[in-house]
Amino acid sequence: MQKAFLVDGSICLGCNTCAMACKNQYHQDQNVTWRKVREIGAEDYLIDNNNILPTLTSYQKAPKVSMPMERFYFSLACNHCENPACVAICPVGAHTKDPETGICKHDQSICIGCGGCVKACPFGASKFNTKMGRAEKCSMCWERQEEGKTTACVQSCPVHAITIIDLHDPKYKALRSDPIGIDYAIDAETKPSTRFIHPFMPKEIYRQAKG
Amino acid sequence: MFNSIGYTTRLAGTPCWPAGIDAQNLDMGDMWCNDPEEMKDSKFIILWGVNPAANSIHSMKYIYEAKRKGAKVVVIDPIFTETASKSSQYVQIKTGTDGLLALGMAKIIIDAKLHDQKWLDANSKGYKEYKAYLDKEVKLDDVSKITGIPLAMIKELALSFAKAKPATIWMGYGMQRHTNGGSMIRAIDALVALSGNIGKYAGGARYGHLNTWGFNYAALSQTKPEGSVGYSGPEGAKGEFAQVGGEKAAYTDRFLNINKTARELINSKEPKVRLLWVACKNVFAQDFDRNQLIRAFQQLDLVVVADQFFNETAKWADIVLPVTTQFEEYDVNVSYWHYWLSINEQAIKPLFEIKSDLEIAAMLSKRMNQLQAGSCTFPQSVDSKEMTIKEFNPAIYEQFGIQSWEELKKGPVKAKAVIPFADGKFKTPSGKFEFYSDKAQELFGSALPKYLEVRKPYDKFRMTSPHSRWSLHSQFQNLEWMEDFHPEPYVYINPDDAEAKMVSSDDMVAVFNRQGVLRLRAKVTDNVQKGTVLMYEQYYHNSIYNVNELVDDTSSDMGAFKTGAPGVALHDTFVNFKKL
Repeated sequence: MQKAFLVDGSICLGCNTCAMACKNQYHQDQNVTWRKVREIGAEDYLIDNNNILPTLTSYQKAPKVSMPMERFYFSLACNHCENPACVAICPVGAHTKDPETGICKHDQSICIGCGGCVKACPFGASKFNTKMGRAEKCSMCWERQEEGKTTACVQSCPVHAITIIDLHDPKYKALRSDPIGIDYAIDAETKPSTRFIHPFMPKEIYRQAKG
Repeated sequence: MFNSIGYTTRLAGTPCWPAGIDAQNLDMGDMWCNDPEEMKDSKFIILWGVNPAANSIHSMKYIYEAKRKGAKVVVIDPIFTETASKSSQYVQIKTGTDGLLALGMAKIIIDAKLHDQKWLDANSKGYKEYKAYLDKEVKLDDVSKITGIPLAMIKELALSFAKAKPATIWMGYGMQRHTNGGSMIRAIDALVALSGNIGKYAGGARYGHLNTWGFNYAALSQTKPEGSVGYSGPEGAKGEFAQVGGEKAAYTDRFLNINKTARELINSKEPKVRLLWVACKNVFAQDFDRNQLIRAFQQLDLVVVADQFFNETAKWADIVLPVTTQFEEYDVNVSYWHYWLSINEQAIKPLFEIKSDLEIAAMLSKRMNQLQAGSCTFPQSVDSKEMTIKEFNPAIYEQFGIQSWEELKKGPVKAKAVIPFADGKFKTPSGKFEFYSDKAQELFGSALPKYLEVRKPYDKFRMTSPHSRWSLHSQFQNLEWMEDFHPEPYVYINPDDAEAKMVSSDDMVAVFNRQGVLRLRAKVTDNVQKGTVLMYEQYYHNSIYNVNELVDDTSSDMGAFKTGAPGVALHDTFVNFKKL
């Protein structure tokens, strides 16, 4: 099994309820947000103030798209990669990959705050909490899932634009792994598990003539 | 509390939705929308000047479901909104011409004989006069020119709306915040009526409702102390929740227009207003013409602000009384949109010395009675749980199908399903849907929903200040927490206008008019049309940004009938801007 987020950019409203539910669930400190609702067409990866720049891994730019400002989004947190860079680099085993669910977990009680994962992750999923002096990230609410609940983000989305799927289920095979309009390490060696449904503009659009 | 110390001066009316409330009351005798959950079964939905994807997010799942089932979702709006981006069709209209578009569509539908003659015969008054007005005064070429929408598109829209059954129109509150706002809502009501979609499941002219608000309002119902003397002016509505009781009283409170707070406080004489008590409201955030408001506050002898946050109004107060949050109180909740009822249980005991508004009133009553026995009739001790229980009555229990309020502890309950006006009984004087309203003639000078031109510009650009998805008026965006998601305000400018002023995204600009000036960062986008700048109504934790710095207090056409004061035409504000 490889649990994964499926984010639907065609219905996402950009309301940020998922990111706020995540922040609320884990009482994330000011300036730390594990989940980020990223605006399509507006580059913000390189100026992500929550994160040290991922300088150790090269990343590719996703195809540019011309979308109206502040209208289309992908909600992203940890991509729960099949070959996670955080697990590989962590010197103390604070990052682990659950063999059963494929969830990449981080245990802050073991973390020594070396920041290796923050630099190694091509997606900036690991955040450095300056107050705690340790890293932290989305662990797909694995404790909630063990109790039979879903993740805070999935539960909170008012239009079901985020769901959790099993990537090894053949029916999800055709889903896209490449987002559009945001900087994202497409085809990263870490094999990110997040899947995307691309947004589209309304079929008919009329705007006032110029002049 | 103020009901129990005698007669006082009140700010009456509402900045929210008054012009539309009047419009719907003139047409149907009530403002009474269908259950929003029905929209999932609508075949054609027009979201007219409304942006649920940002401001009614919980409604979007029903709209998406309708769309998935094949319904067409059309957004008519001057702005390419979040909702427009998720629609089937977006039609950009020139601001303030929506009423004329509705009249034009009505004419097209009637000419094509797609109107519901049977329903009109049985349920309406004045259809003949309305049709005669359309025939004589509404020219389709003019409709196209003035709205800026091609005639073929208007025709296609009108005919496909008329052919789909059930079809519904949801009207936003922004549309009625114009000098012709009430007339626009009336024109759209008429369009829905003639298409036969009023009184139908998943149909309706949706605006809002107060149908589930039949509480006892026990805290409000206090007797005056003996010998109280008041104002002997005419009695009228005081707000959407406080309609006239009926009996003629010897005295009443004095009512000032809440949409002209600054001006009214300055101008009120005999007696002059000397003490202002502010509760449940952030006056400096929500009231218009901020600079005049500063002058008004400077003239007052004493300002008391009871609030959960130390907001800008609190900064202008002499006494600040921190009040409890919903986490610290019992309360009951219903909506002006959906049909659910829920109880809010106390989660934690009030922190520190914090008190509820009711406790503040009780403590004040106790002290006043110590100073002079009988000077205040308000109970001298209250319990928020008991006050909440007192709000229930048999009619509420019947409407929601429960025996006791205790059942609400298990979860919210929904009112028994009812389709507004399905029985053909309208609460108008004629008992029918009134295309022709004598009351409208008497109060507003036009019996029919005629086209009224919007306010003329007094500066270079129209400024529109809609609600943002980050806040509910002055709430939420003020939390430090929100800075992680949305740290600062922007002014949104059309690329053509930005180019003319050599402004690019992220430049600092000054936006100014005769009311005031704001300095903020620009975003250049064709989400807004040429000639319009957009700034959201938002209040930040560490910023003096306040869009009402620029908004004047010009009234909209309607509102005085049912809410006690006209609304405010805040989207008819005009500004200029330059790069800093």
